[in-house]
Amino acid sequence: MKMEQFNDRNVADNGYFLVDIEDYPTDGWGKFKRVVKRSFRGELFVGLWVVLREMIKFDIHTVQYPEEKLPIGPRYRAVHEMKRLWESDTERCIGCGLCEKICISDCIRMDTKIDENSRKEVSEYTINLGRCIFCGYCAEVCPELAITHGGEYENASQQREHFVDYEYMLTPIDKMKAGTQMEFEGFGAITPHEDERVKKTPLAY
Amino acid sequence: MSKIINFKINDKDVTASKGETILQAARKHDIYIPTMCYISKTSACASCRICSVEVEGVEGFILSCNTPPTEGIEVKTNSTELEVERTNIMKLYDVNHPLECGVCDKSGECDLQNMTLEFNVSQQEFSARDQLRKTEDWGLINYDPALCIMCEKCVHVCNEVIGDDAIEVKFGGYSSVIIPKNAETLDCTFCGECIAVCPVGALVSSDFKYRANAWELSRVPSTCAHCSAGCALEYETRHAGANGDDSIYRVKNNFEFNSLCGAGRFGFDFENRADKDEHAFTKAVDAIKNTNAIRFSSMITNEEAHILQLLKEKLGVKLFNEDARLYAEFMSTYSSVSGKLHHSASMDAIKQADAIIVIGTRITTDNPMIRYAIRTASQHNGAKVVYAHPLEDVLMKNTATQFMKYEVGTEEGVMALLANELLKNSDVDEQTRTFLNDLDLGYLEAESNVGDDELKLMTKSFQRANKHVLVIGSDIFAHMRAKNIAKLAALIEKYTDFSLLIVPAEINTAGVALTCKLDIDENISNVVAYNAEGDFIMSSLKDADLAMPALNQVEGTVVNVDNQVLPLNVALSFDGYILNDIANALGIKKENTIDYTKELDNAKGFKSIAFDDLENFLIPYGEDKRGYILDEVTCNMDGTIEEIEDLPEFNGTVVYQCNPVLQFNEFTNKTHQLEKDTSLRGSAQFAAAARIADGDVIEISFASKTIQRVFKQDDELKGTIALNPTFDLGQDFSRYRFEKSKIVRVV
Repeated sequence: MKMEQFNDRNVADNGYFLVDIEDYPTDGWGKFKRVVKRSFRGELFVGLWVVLREMIKFDIHTVQYPEEKLPIGPRYRAVHEMKRLWESDTERCIGCGLCEKICISDCIRMDTKIDENSRKEVSEYTINLGRCIFCGYCAEVCPELAITHGGEYENASQQREHFVDYEYMLTPIDKMKAGTQMEFEGFGAITPHEDERVKKTPLAY
Repeated sequence: MSKIINFKINDKDVTASKGETILQAARKHDIYIPTMCYISKTSACASCRICSVEVEGVEGFILSCNTPPTEGIEVKTNSTELEVERTNIMKLYDVNHPLECGVCDKSGECDLQNMTLEFNVSQQEFSARDQLRKTEDWGLINYDPALCIMCEKCVHVCNEVIGDDAIEVKFGGYSSVIIPKNAETLDCTFCGECIAVCPVGALVSSDFKYRANAWELSRVPSTCAHCSAGCALEYETRHAGANGDDSIYRVKNNFEFNSLCGAGRFGFDFENRADKDEHAFTKAVDAIKNTNAIRFSSMITNEEAHILQLLKEKLGVKLFNEDARLYAEFMSTYSSVSGKLHHSASMDAIKQADAIIVIGTRITTDNPMIRYAIRTASQHNGAKVVYAHPLEDVLMKNTATQFMKYEVGTEEGVMALLANELLKNSDVDEQTRTFLNDLDLGYLEAESNVGDDELKLMTKSFQRANKHVLVIGSDIFAHMRAKNIAKLAALIEKYTDFSLLIVPAEINTAGVALTCKLDIDENISNVVAYNAEGDFIMSSLKDADLAMPALNQVEGTVVNVDNQVLPLNVALSFDGYILNDIANALGIKKENTIDYTKELDNAKGFKSIAFDDLENFLIPYGEDKRGYILDEVTCNMDGTIEEIEDLPEFNGTVVYQCNPVLQFNEFTNKTHQLEKDTSLRGSAQFAAAARIADGDVIEISFASKTIQRVFKQDDELKGTIALNPTFDLGQDFSRYRFEKSKIVRVV
């Protein structure tokens, strides 16, 4: 790697130029002249005119928060969500514990057991948002795309615990039935055309 | 030397001793040969074929696991062909193996997972029609045939090491499965060794299933606290629940070389939880200050026993522990004839032996590890095993070559007969020869019911043997003639090539016997008890005046049956007070209990090694690096053998204090997985003699106490001796384990 461009500190040669700025007045008379000039040139009205013009045009760009909210990027990492399976509406989490293991701020804790159908069931799941740094590792490591980050950035509440309940994180069943569960597109999510890259098991029979 | 074979592996010169295989030689020389089904403690399963190697001049592949090398051969462990062969085997193993690593208990420590990654098998090229395979629930053990790779390790271990022989392979090509042998469901002693050796998640602990993953658990190497074997184990702990304290999730062992019985594997949650109770602590300190005696059990570390001894010296209290006292007395009498403080054999010696006599113990429940060692000897060395006991044991049936039944109470006579038979051709001193010549063999044989032909048969079966072990168990310690029996045992050890193993009853009976000067237990008042009965009770069990930590919550050492000083580590923390706090309050000051480790008595064989310098692991080739073995100490030989007294008779309904499989004491009784069958078990003959029937609630009166039990008729038992469990009410070690009893049915 060439270092010349970093080592060359002669900024003028690289397209930089000095702006032609009038010298500041130094004596009293000069200062007086500047005040008079600024006061009577009507610079103030230039700005006022812009405001008046835009007001009349009703072309307002201000987002009226909290009535209005800006859309946020799909990779935004806010409070976690637990997804459900599209096919059966049951929760995706299989209790593998990888998120608990990978969590660098050690804020995920879970407990699992065998359920009546001999499947692994998550009996307890908590995320301590007071410790969470929203790094996104849990969503990335999850083999089932079960834990993801959501877009919920409004974390004001009396207690942080309000956000970390498993039930709270899980996609509500009515939302699921309505088919409005959003997939996470951040790290760990499957990339487009993934189906074409899957190797198939030979089925000779 | 003709016994050393020189050959080459990958152009490196290696040696193997006679009987070793190519694989063993390679491992010893740090040459890697991958295996899937090989396990060091059994004979080769030879089912995976991954350990194939090439030998120059020999066509095809050779299985290194079961082929001994010959002089001068040149072995190749890696070639393109071998690589292809091994990769293909791995591909076949992976055919239809369920991709449930996400939930599988074995994930993270799975041999199949590791090897699949090692051979870089990333796709399935072969195929087979999958079968419907149902998971089986075998009680403590769960079997999932879909995950099973048919390595047969479990079958080999169950048969060769454990001796249950409870599972077998149902052969059927791709649909082969492991099934219980000759039974609908698994009927075994539930040692769980099959779980330990299973390289995949096919055999798992039902209790542990889906509760945690390998990578979440922290391992605490320690020593099992249930019987005198003192097995190496690792407690695996994790937080329980989202906000819970740590708890033990499972126990694992180094299954490659060691074994573990079910009590160690499944009976791990005997911890005691308590907070600091200052009021109770002050009361405890006062109680000890004013007490006449401290009664304690042998479920205690050497360090705490040492503290008790210091308390005795400082405060002049008496120390009661009948279990250790009788053991100590037996051992000192033994020493007075043998001239050595410690017995000579170990469990390893049994594994190497080819002639074994077991007397005075129901070894399968008293000390399962010795049973496994005997089984290993019988399977690997074809050892002849004489099992001498008044009660036949079904679990010894396929291991013992000769059952020598003697009458209850006649152990002295039996030992005299054994001594007479074994010392026949030995060069003994005059006094012993006179003693032997003076024996009234006819009387002894008649009273003990051990015939001349049985002894002859034993001698005949031992003819070709060259490594002999005599195992003496805890029936003897409280026998009224225990001292003379000890002397007879010492004579046998001294004048024959028998080595002697004396099996203490509890985990640290031997350690307490060496550390404390014990007094004869008198029935006096104002006794402070530590895990025992008394007026002020400090205990790690429930209902104590002061809560104490259990043996999985303390640091310290114990002495096991091999005279090995083994370290215990803290698996779970204990928040209350410990014995050292009390000692500190009474002016015996040390910061930690383990500061006493290096102060243990050198005159008894202890070494001055600090606790933190004790190792607790096995090296990769199986050599035991746990703690240290007690130094041999020579003693005065001033003991003389006494004449045999008249042999006692036990008639009527005799009850034998003996726990069922996997139960040992109140601590195993506390655990949630182990079965707790507190019924009195007896034969149909016993039921007839006592006039009771299966399922009756009965009252058993011994000389010392009366207890209530449910009677259970056990068709595997014979004779008029019933088995009374002691794990729930505690055992009275001062009494001979067989007792005449009066049995009344409670209406």
